[in-house]
Amino acid sequence: MTDSRLRVAIGGLAGLGVLVAGYLVFERYTGGAISCTTGGCETVQQSSYSVLGGVPVAVLGLCAYVAILVLAFFRTEAARAAQLALALAGVVFSGYLLWAQAVPIGAFCDWCLASDAIMTLIAVLSLLRLRSVVAYGAS
Amino acid sequence: MAKRKKPTRIVRTTTRTATAARAPRKLQLRTRTLYLGAIGAALAIAAALVIFSIATRGGDGSEPPRPTPLTLSGATATNALLRGVPQQGNTLGSPSAPVTLVEYADPQCPYCAQWAHGALPELVREYVRTGRVRIEYRGMAFIGPDSSTGLAAAVAAGNQNKFWHFVDLLYANQGTENSGWINSALLGAIADKVGVDSSRFDDERQSSDVAAVVNDSTMQARAAGVNSTPTFYAGRTGGTLRPVDVTSLDAGALRPALDKLLAS
Repeated sequence: MTDSRLRVAIGGLAGLGVLVAGYLVFERYTGGAISCTTGGCETVQQSSYSVLGGVPVAVLGLCAYVAILVLAFFRTEAARAAQLALALAGVVFSGYLLWAQAVPIGAFCDWCLASDAIMTLIAVLSLLRLRSVVAYGAS
Repeated sequence: MAKRKKPTRIVRTTTRTATAARAPRKLQLRTRTLYLGAIGAALAIAAALVIFSIATRGGDGSEPPRPTPLTLSGATATNALLRGVPQQGNTLGSPSAPVTLVEYADPQCPYCAQWAHGALPELVREYVRTGRVRIEYRGMAFIGPDSSTGLAAAVAAGNQNKFWHFVDLLYANQGTENSGWINSALLGAIADKVGVDSSRFDDERQSSDVAAVVNDSTMQARAAGVNSTPTFYAGRTGGTLRPVDVTSLDAGALRPALDKLLAS
């Protein structure tokens, strides 16, 4: 895949991530009910794992997706590397939160799972994007 | 012409191949540095987040539960709030109030606690004390085992018409979810404070009858499609209750619905 295609794909996924995280942030601050198919969204959102030093993890996710989205507009190697770093950090942290849902909380939130999937895809594409530096030459 | 062109093309291709072969080596080195840098940064960020998360959050059951407060907070406020307001089981306010407000809540839910302290006092003063609205607390044990224990205790206190005192003090002393914060020490302290017969309270809160009440109300809440707390329903007393969507946890969010029902 060429860099421009990867950038479009990553940008699209990041946009999707912004929507998912944005929705969770919105419901968190308005106190609304999260529509949920697993029945565990509220349990997860109200657990102590959903907040990091007073900042809801949904906000962190939103920031990460926005940053990834912005980086998709840049062609520089630094942007690619930063994007990969963010996405990988996102995947590792998502893995931790997935563990938290499975073990201590014992409930899953489908929005969180969707975010995990999006972040993983972005990380894979970011890896490919950095690889494309070799394949297609730096631009 | 064709013969002259061919060698030129070959020369060009060779030149390009030579530069292409040199360039990737440089790029590969740079890319490898970038890869390693990115992976290193990612791991550092993730590790910092995880460590920070574990360090700043409270107990999760594997850690010792937080010590029960020896002195309960909020008892004075609770008594002032509810003094003289009629209570029957899980209902607060006059049985003949024309409007009924139903709250689906879990004693462990932080938003419910926020509502109990941010909205309830005003609502009690404006609507309940004036005999216009009665509020029914429908317990929903969905956060975890502490929720069931807390609700059972509230139901047992409700048998002595102190349900609302009990949940209000639970909220005022809310601990970390599912850390075992709702334990017999805390329940005993609250029971003493709200003035229920403690031996009857202790027997009843552990009885199968009370457990069944908690289980039923949780099932009913789920059947009604409630998937978050607090969730509100309101209607004319004895009539159909309809969901009230709240956009905030202060009294103002419920006023329009209550006023409309009172005017109907």
